[in-house]
Amino acid sequence: MPFAEDPAHLSKSRLKSDLVAHNVALPSAASKKAVYVELHLKHIDQKNAADFSSDEEDRADDKKDAEMPVPSCLTDEDLKAMLRKHGVKPGPITASTRVLYERKLHKLLQSDRRERLNEADKAVLYSDSEEEKKQQEKDQDSGSEKQPDPSDQTQKESSQCFLPSSRLRPCPPRNTESSSNWNSRNALKSSERSQSQCSQIISTSTADHHTGLGSTVLPRSKSTDDSSLSSQYFSITQMVEEMENSSSRSVTDNACEFNGTSVQENWAQSDRPPQEPVKDAFKDILPGSKTTPTGIYVTRRRPIKGAAQRPVQYSYPDSPVSPMTQQRREVERYLVPIHIQILVFIIVACVLYLIYVNVEGSLSYWSYGEDRLLVQAESQDAEADYAQD
Amino acid sequence: MSTTSQKHRDFVGEPMADKPVTALSGIGETLGKKLEENGFDKAYVVLGQFLLLRKDTEMFTDWLKDSIGANSRQASSCAQCLKEWCDAFL
Repeated sequence: MPFAEDPAHLSKSRLKSDLVAHNVALPSAASKKAVYVELHLKHIDQKNAADFSSDEEDRADDKKDAEMPVPSCLTDEDLKAMLRKHGVKPGPITASTRVLYERKLHKLLQSDRRERLNEADKAVLYSDSEEEKKQQEKDQDSGSEKQPDPSDQTQKESSQCFLPSSRLRPCPPRNTESSSNWNSRNALKSSERSQSQCSQIISTSTADHHTGLGSTVLPRSKSTDDSSLSSQYFSITQMVEEMENSSSRSVTDNACEFNGTSVQENWAQSDRPPQEPVKDAFKDILPGSKTTPTGIYVTRRRPIKGAAQRPVQYSYPDSPVSPMTQQRREVERYLVPIHIQILVFIIVACVLYLIYVNVEGSLSYWSYGEDRLLVQAESQDAEADYAQD
Repeated sequence: MSTTSQKHRDFVGEPMADKPVTALSGIGETLGKKLEENGFDKAYVVLGQFLLLRKDTEMFTDWLKDSIGANSRQASSCAQCLKEWCDAFL
């Protein structure tokens, strides 16, 4: 149940159930919601106030409540004035509107109270955060002090933070790489752990330096350290171990190279165990997936049928046809086929030839005819002439 | 365009004259009867109440919910209807 909810916001049935839950006698069923709200305000809000009475702030609020006027006890004029104070310009307060304005004033008063509470809380929060910071610092200091130090090096912690880098001086280029890796690693982990690592490495390195026992001391101290450290950090100690082992033997470039390679090997080795469990878990789920350098695994989404430009195809053609041939076929439907064109051409040519031949023939025939006529005419003339004689 | 019902458009489209309460958007038969029981028998009386509350839709919806037990949707629809009518004709 929300603690600071205005009963006016609740529905009638909700108010009823709340009243029943608090063993308050229900009014008649036909009564208006306002009656329920009043009862709710009276009994349940009082109860809530009693629950929180242990808080000083609520005690102060109770005092304020006593000071603050109850909206229902105000006169119309006072109600108007109160509303105006909160920036609300009320209309005429009549029988029908009075209840509404009372409720509005109540809401405004509650919101005011809440604001004051929030401000107080904020002030408290800020002070709390300062205290917490101080506590954190104290914890850090105490934690770092509790590190297993065989010798008195706690005082020299800060000054000896640079020792590892100084020990690695013989091979500067590798140094920077390793130190940068170191730094990146440290940046990832919490400051406490990095400090603890630093202190441990310093302690072991200085122990080696001071006692001068060489590698024999290291395994012992390292074993204890390893047991205390988590599996993620053993690589650094291992690396330091290797480096110190190698540096104790020789301080030549070959040794540096060996350092570099050993560092790299160690890094590789260290990389494997923490990452293997992650990869294995994934590979269990997707046995067929390839490993990616970024570790991001993506599978192509199946295209949605029926979506834009991917209409659902219910029937497929029997023989797959390329789009080009389909286009050509469509175009060829409109055009007249070539064979028919050639036929038509030949027919037309024949027709023209025949016409030409006929014309030629008729022309000669006509000319022949004309000649005959001429001859006939001449013969007739001749006959006429003959007849005349 | 917001989703207004036909009733809303009918009411806001012309002066309400003597329309009954059920002509208001969001007020059906049941709510209309309850309003009439409370003395609000015509739409203009409800308009009167709306104007008394200084055309504040929030307060008007609260009043509707209280007096006749309308739900939020009905009450806000009625308030919006009256507001638009006022904007058009008042």
